[in-house]
Amino acid sequence: MPIEAVEAGCDFRALVRQHQAMVFSIALHFLRDRASAEEVAQEVFFSLHRNLRQIESPAHAAAWLRKVAVQRSIDEGRRRSRRPQVALEDVAEPAARFTPGDPLLSDLLRRLVATLPEAPRMVMVLRYQEDLEPSEIATVLEMPVATVKSHLQRSLAMLRGKLERRGVGESGWTG
Amino acid sequence: MKSILILACLAALPVTAAPQQFQLNLDAVAAKASEHVDVSLSASTLQFAAKFLDGNDPDEAKVKKLVAGIDGIYVRHFEFKSEKAWSQADLEPVRAQLRGPEWSKIVGVSSSEDGENVDVWLRTSGNKTIGVAIIATEPKEVTVVNIAGTIDLETLSELGGHFGVPKVKAPEKPQKPE
Amino acid sequence: MDWLEDELRRALSRQDPPDGFAERVLARSRPVAFPARRWVAAAAMVVVAAGAAGAWREHRGNQAKQELLLAVRLASVPVHRVQSQIRGISQ
Repeated sequence: MPIEAVEAGCDFRALVRQHQAMVFSIALHFLRDRASAEEVAQEVFFSLHRNLRQIESPAHAAAWLRKVAVQRSIDEGRRRSRRPQVALEDVAEPAARFTPGDPLLSDLLRRLVATLPEAPRMVMVLRYQEDLEPSEIATVLEMPVATVKSHLQRSLAMLRGKLERRGVGESGWTG
Repeated sequence: MKSILILACLAALPVTAAPQQFQLNLDAVAAKASEHVDVSLSASTLQFAAKFLDGNDPDEAKVKKLVAGIDGIYVRHFEFKSEKAWSQADLEPVRAQLRGPEWSKIVGVSSSEDGENVDVWLRTSGNKTIGVAIIATEPKEVTVVNIAGTIDLETLSELGGHFGVPKVKAPEKPQKPE
Repeated sequence: MDWLEDELRRALSRQDPPDGFAERVLARSRPVAFPARRWVAAAAMVVVAAGAAGAWREHRGNQAKQELLLAVRLASVPVHRVQSQIRGISQ
């Protein structure tokens, strides 16, 4: 273990344990495939291990891992060259009404997000998984902030429309 | 406000070229730089270096494939202490050569928000595309690349950011708790 | 807060990778440990068999490799940036 990395608090083992959920989840929510997500996540950490000497601090490591996880997930998605086509009839029939926090609604949302094109899909993952602001998302994805905001607005509008057509929405909650 | 100038799509484009297609006269830039990286790899050096690439490392394996048909890579990279240390005029000796009839600028991307610019040229001979030139500038960095040989720009693009540490600044605000 | 954004945060919250993920990563990242006596034997063989010329060639090769990787890194970043911009616009 390079002494500089240790002194910077960048213990590799600790970084893996601390950030494995973040890295895995970025890949999982983007690719919707647990096996591929695990492979991508492993590659990200192997890459970190090779480049550990250049990491300046634990915060730098986190930002680096997030960016590389995004890049590798996008690359893997392109290699697979397909976007899950979730026709409404393929989605399990929802309960007549969802309650807030309903796992079926979460599952439906994840599948609908997975049908988005590559760029808005990753924007949504970074916004709602990682809680990044649009300016931070723009930095990670190297795209204009206006484009990030546009992707967010259009994606939310699409999701809202699809859900409301099926009676899911604020007015759709029971109780 | 970010303005994007797109002249053509940067598609996966195998490119064949001739050795060192233009002179990297960048003395004016070098004189102002606080750090300077100069890499010049001829065909023989490239082939020698490629033998030491690790085929089991996914990125090095890609580089091995990438350089298989390259006749030379010539890169000049400069970093500056302050944002106004260099000017576009300093790059004119190179840009002037890329205005020759055999060169076509295929894409230019610029951002007035963060001052980043990337221009890519292809060199052609008859119907064949030969040669790649890239000029990438930021307020405190200038990179000029001259690639001779057959190169897959799509693969080169994929490698971007995979090597070393991407340009990621340590964030100022506290991280989301794990 | 907007109900849909709440639900999206819930749906896209972080999940743990499969059990043993960290151990698998750490195991594959650890350099292979040779027993001490094999290290001694290997070192002796390098000195005797490789010779000074071979060692120098390896040193030069690794130097050239590092220069190659540096050149590719410097060239690939702007190309990647251009392609990201184009993909961002076309979507």
